[in-house]
Amino acid sequence: MDEDPVRRTAAALVALAAVFALWGGWSWYAAAHDDGDAYSRVRAEVLRAGEQSVQNLNTLDYRTVEPDLRTWRESTTGELHREITDGRAAFVDRVRKARTVTSGRVLEAAVAELDVRSGRARVLAAVEITVTPPEGDPVVKQDRLVARLDRTGGGWKVSGLGRASGEAS
Amino acid sequence: MRTVALGVVAVLLAASGVWARQEAAGLRDDPVVRNAALTDGAATSEVKGAVAEMVGRLFSYDHAAPERTRKAAAEFLTGDAAGQYEGVFGKVREEAPKREAVLSTRVTDSAVVSLRDGRARLLVFADQRTTRTSDGRSSHAPAMLAVDAVRRDGRWRIAGLDTFG
Repeated sequence: MDEDPVRRTAAALVALAAVFALWGGWSWYAAAHDDGDAYSRVRAEVLRAGEQSVQNLNTLDYRTVEPDLRTWRESTTGELHREITDGRAAFVDRVRKARTVTSGRVLEAAVAELDVRSGRARVLAAVEITVTPPEGDPVVKQDRLVARLDRTGGGWKVSGLGRASGEAS
Repeated sequence: MRTVALGVVAVLLAASGVWARQEAAGLRDDPVVRNAALTDGAATSEVKGAVAEMVGRLFSYDHAAPERTRKAAAEFLTGDAAGQYEGVFGKVREEAPKREAVLSTRVTDSAVVSLRDGRARLLVFADQRTTRTSDGRSSHAPAMLAVDAVRRDGRWRIAGLDTFG
């Protein structure tokens, strides 16, 4: 019976198919656990968080100032978060008096630095900011911003945001 | 009967192998993963350095040595970038001699948006200083631009300039 050539061929095919399946499994595992790939995904996540946060932090409507500021708080952590929280009351007052509507749009952004281990990143962003005063035409300006992001339990959040200085860094 | 079972097992194993290979290829083909910005530290630094050098030379102009800028343009620009550069810098270059001004541009910060297969896109922040030779007065202007670069024959060149105008 064991000399049946059909059976022998079938057994050989099973062995071959098993090797192929193992190889496939290995490549899948390797692709899913590649350090460089994992870093790339974190970089993409940081960029997404950075773009969204920079846009959030440049958007404020006096009619929705409370929810807008809540978004600001949710987008930030550390020192910046504290500043926003502490200065809230005075800020709300000022914005309501000024009756301005500000909206930011990220034209282009990129991650300049990313340390996955310590959970810190630096993102550059070119933004367009439109300020609409209570009377008159909207004013559009462009700005160069640098955001510092920290990894938190709730994702990557901005711990510092400022205009890019003229100095080389 | 057992032979048929063996055949079924072989087919199932082969199919799972094919499936796993496809999953692996899908992971590797992800544009996020193929983008080598920062993951390849050396290549990222290299393209940042090359673009900073090129932008600095392209957007600097000394009315006493105009050929220096012209040479940089001929050397560094390729494709659409030549026309885009003229649109941005042509007027500045024409007016510089009249005002006897010296323009010097320095990249202050940059980051790589994407880097793969010899192509890169960078976000560049630069500082442009204009100095009037008559009285030595100078002024600064901040600039930002997106630069598309291509690597050919081991050298990076600029293939696209976007000043967000």
